[in-house]
Amino acid sequence: MTIDTGIEGQEWHRLSPRMLLVHPVHEVVRQIPVLIGSVVLGSATGNPMVAIGVLALTVGFGVARWFTTSFRIGPGELQLRTGVLARKVLSMPRNRIRSVSTDARLLHRLLGLTVLRVSTGQEARGDAVFALDAVQAEQVPRLRAVLLADSLAPAQDQEATPGRVLARWQPSWLRYSPLSFTGLAMIVAAVGLVYQVGAGAALQDSSIAQSGVDAAERFGVAASVVTAVIIVLLASVVLSVARSLLTYGNLVLRRDSEVLHLEHGLLRVREHTFDMRRLRGGTLREPLLVRLFGGARLDAVMTGVGGAGEASILLPPCPKATAEAVLTELIQRPDIVTGPVLGHGSAATRRRWTRALALPAIAAVVLLVVSVPVWAWVAWGALTACCALLAFDRARSLGHRVGGGWLVAQAGSVHRRRDCIAAPGIIGWTVRQTLFQRRAGVATLIAATAAGVKQYQVIDVPAALAWSIAAQASPWVAESQWADAPQSRA
Amino acid sequence: MNLVDPAQRPSRKAPLVWAIGAAIPWFVLVVGQLVWFAVDHRTWWPHAVAAAVTVLGVALFVVVVPLWRYRVHRWDVSPEAVFTRSGWLVQERRIAPISRVQTVDTERGPLDRLFGLANVTVTTASSAGAVRIVALDSEVADRVVAQLTDIAAIGAEDAT
Repeated sequence: MTIDTGIEGQEWHRLSPRMLLVHPVHEVVRQIPVLIGSVVLGSATGNPMVAIGVLALTVGFGVARWFTTSFRIGPGELQLRTGVLARKVLSMPRNRIRSVSTDARLLHRLLGLTVLRVSTGQEARGDAVFALDAVQAEQVPRLRAVLLADSLAPAQDQEATPGRVLARWQPSWLRYSPLSFTGLAMIVAAVGLVYQVGAGAALQDSSIAQSGVDAAERFGVAASVVTAVIIVLLASVVLSVARSLLTYGNLVLRRDSEVLHLEHGLLRVREHTFDMRRLRGGTLREPLLVRLFGGARLDAVMTGVGGAGEASILLPPCPKATAEAVLTELIQRPDIVTGPVLGHGSAATRRRWTRALALPAIAAVVLLVVSVPVWAWVAWGALTACCALLAFDRARSLGHRVGGGWLVAQAGSVHRRRDCIAAPGIIGWTVRQTLFQRRAGVATLIAATAAGVKQYQVIDVPAALAWSIAAQASPWVAESQWADAPQSRA
Repeated sequence: MNLVDPAQRPSRKAPLVWAIGAAIPWFVLVVGQLVWFAVDHRTWWPHAVAAAVTVLGVALFVVVVPLWRYRVHRWDVSPEAVFTRSGWLVQERRIAPISRVQTVDTERGPLDRLFGLANVTVTTASSAGAVRIVALDSEVADRVVAQLTDIAAIGAEDAT
């Protein structure tokens, strides 16, 4: 590529000098336990120089990180040298670069810095992540153009044409978040942390705990428990909404010809760039609690981008119509996104019901054997009703749709998902049958792709249909020497 | 439409090798039980239960499963695709186009070497799409690998 940016070539570049401010702060934050220990040690020995010495060492280490980190964008390779004591060089062939994402935490944003992550699509963890931490924000578009030049030739003129916005975050999207479990998980984690550092014991003896116990005695145990549950639930709702707001606030999904840009976050801004030519479809996910409010979330199915987790998110929980409209916009096939699916027949429905009702059946046997109070039977009735609803919903969701070069697989109730996969991206088929599936005459058809979660299942299709679905999606299956198709050969 | 099952069987020695492979851990277990029997004389029924479980396990995993797998396992390679059938309780039929093949690996375990067998794994760009042809006679495996690498070299697609 012939973009003259002055950043390509054989010389090594340092990261932004402003990191001389950020690194020491991060280093100090990271070493807080050691610093506290040194302060304690200093006051115990009566020598305050210990704490000052440790602090100076930590800051010095942070400063040294800037001097020892450098990167080079060579003609064929991208290299990153890091490490103060143990030196390390990470190399990445430039033609393997699949996506560039950016991430700016609060401190970075205040200083106008951005972390730039380069991904080849392979799973990279810990030290193997290729991250430039950090460069100046105004350098990012230029760096991105240079880094993606090999895979995205027409990306230079993207500043000239700002592209079309596919979706923009609305405050009303927050209505899908109160019922998620993230808030509860955060509370549990916080309580665990408090007890781990030993503050729990201190809290037990404190006057706050004592007054709490007094209050509980005054109002009665039942009332106190109810109050506590309500408080925890309220806190969980508030935390869930706040997290959703901070993570997805200001989300903008934009398409510039062949590139998809996703930007989100209020305090910490994250930006992902996807290559549209690697898009192999999308997954509409409707978790039960989101579906109850008519919402859905959208994941990209893309080669070189991990299928689960944050890497592939296109839209967080949002109105289903929005998610469907965006996916339709991306793949240009409204029938694939919203069209009805073909059910899998009575055998599949029966299997949903037997599975869901197995637990209540076992529970009923147990309840009959051991004598239990009446309320246990009421609970059993409620459980059975829930399981029946689950079975009904799972059976209703199950279905597939194939044709026109696309495969759609829909399944699930609590985690309902609709996978829309482009057939040219499917590079292998598996028909799997357990003993029970063979007896019921159904099979699970698995499409293997290099994109997304790598395998997409069509659950419990009638066994006779399995290969014809595969053949309809992939002509090479129908044309293989094992194909037995009397109607087409005649 | 349907796919006719692939025609080629694994090596005739396959059930024997699978049986020996399964017998080794069971043999260790039997030796352990004999030692336990020699040392501990207090009650007889735990020994009887353990022995019954072991006999059943050996009968299932050393005799029935290898024969069952031999009945199920099939493979075939055409100029366009690789097709296999495998498993026993859970059975799988898997097909992958040769134009999308990325690597062809041969693997021989100690037992395989003893009996002149080899396993061929054909990988594609999907971690869920690898096709494994197990327990082939070595010369058959070499022929399959040569054939597959020959055809795969012709395709020059990105394979994703």
